Amino acid sequence: MKVKLWGTRGSIPSPGPETIRYGGNTSCVGVTLSDGSVLALDAGTGIRCLGLALGDQPARLHILLTHLHLDHIQGLVFFAPAFRPQTEIVIWGPASPEASLRDRIARYISAPLSPVEVRELPCDVSFRHCPETEWEIGSARVRAASVAHRGPTLGYRIDDGGSSLAYIPDHEPALGADLDQLEDDWISGLGLARDASLLIHDGQYADSEYPGHVGWGHSALSHSLAFARRAEAERSVLFHHDPMHSDDFLDGLAVEARERWQALGGEPGSLELGVERSEFELPAYAPRAAAPA
Amino acid sequence: MSFVTQKPLELILARNLMSALSTPAFLVDEGGVLVFYNEAAGMMLGKRFEELGTVEADEWGQLFGPFDEGGEPIPYDDLPLVAAVRDGRPAHSELEIHSADGTSHQVEVSAFPILTAHGSQGGIAIFWPTGASGNGANPA
Repeated sequence: MKVKLWGTRGSIPSPGPETIRYGGNTSCVGVTLSDGSVLALDAGTGIRCLGLALGDQPARLHILLTHLHLDHIQGLVFFAPAFRPQTEIVIWGPASPEASLRDRIARYISAPLSPVEVRELPCDVSFRHCPETEWEIGSARVRAASVAHRGPTLGYRIDDGGSSLAYIPDHEPALGADLDQLEDDWISGLGLARDASLLIHDGQYADSEYPGHVGWGHSALSHSLAFARRAEAERSVLFHHDPMHSDDFLDGLAVEARERWQALGGEPGSLELGVERSEFELPAYAPRAAAPA
Repeated sequence: MSFVTQKPLELILARNLMSALSTPAFLVDEGGVLVFYNEAAGMMLGKRFEELGTVEADEWGQLFGPFDEGGEPIPYDDLPLVAAVRDGRPAHSELEIHSADGTSHQVEVSAFPILTAHGSQGGIAIFWPTGASGNGANPA
């Protein structure tokens, strides 16, 4: 499984010289499975560049939306494969009692916010509510679970070839709770993240910023670190950077995060801040041989 | 590798909210298992949740021996929280409960189900003390 970060920013695109290294595009992660299937995790502005990189391939791809805040869907109408008649796109997302996934997305892909309507997209597009149980996409098994954020929001876990990716970009697991005091099953998202090969998790705020943003649906650094430690993932990436955080600020946050990570017992080098266009190759593991009878 | 089955998010958020309340409150899952009560409820019952842990559906009612206005024990199936989860609608009643040290409390209980897009995930009961506490004797 290959993973590439196409957009690491949260809330609003933040291009400019101050954000050129960590990136200014909003949430999008490209995943290529071991059988060649392509997934896009979220469709923030980063998905525009993913679409350009895909060229004419593949004929079928899946977009897994965590939720429908604008920074996670804004790139949909600038995703080149959506404008190719030969492409089939399946968009997965959270159910809501209010309206179907298609109708909720159509509020954005419609006038006056968009020059095209969903029905006008040349590709063969379909919308599916994520099931409660695990399902298959290509060579992967995919699981979605509701996580603590504002509005219906999912996190995802993708298992493929013995490796696993957990993706929880917008997450406030410590809202009204002390993560250190909770049992595992009472921590939002932990079931998705536990023992993942790679965990991509919300890291929006520095600790000093969090008191002014309680309940906004995002984590302070302390929460991100505590969650990652409880998850025991092999590697963790802090993601969804606040638009106010310049590269210099994030450099400082990265140093603090690494120091505190190791103080918590984390493996050196196993936690980092997400950088746009960075890639991760999650190795395929051979199934463990059965013990002799 | 250890597998974690996350509780439904609605229960997690309900527990977090209840933890911040000074009003006694119970939380049960979709099977009626008592999965949490807050500190205020612990003070009323005379036992913290951390001391007790989860309690099976047909057992937690016996923790506080609820009695009706006439002093008769209230059957488990008639408890407001049980009715709320079973019927998917709010339930309310007045009852008397006994804490671990034998103190009796007159309370009103409001219970409501936690309904989600995936169906019922459990229910919450909030206890409203209405009268003076007394030590003791089972009014029955």
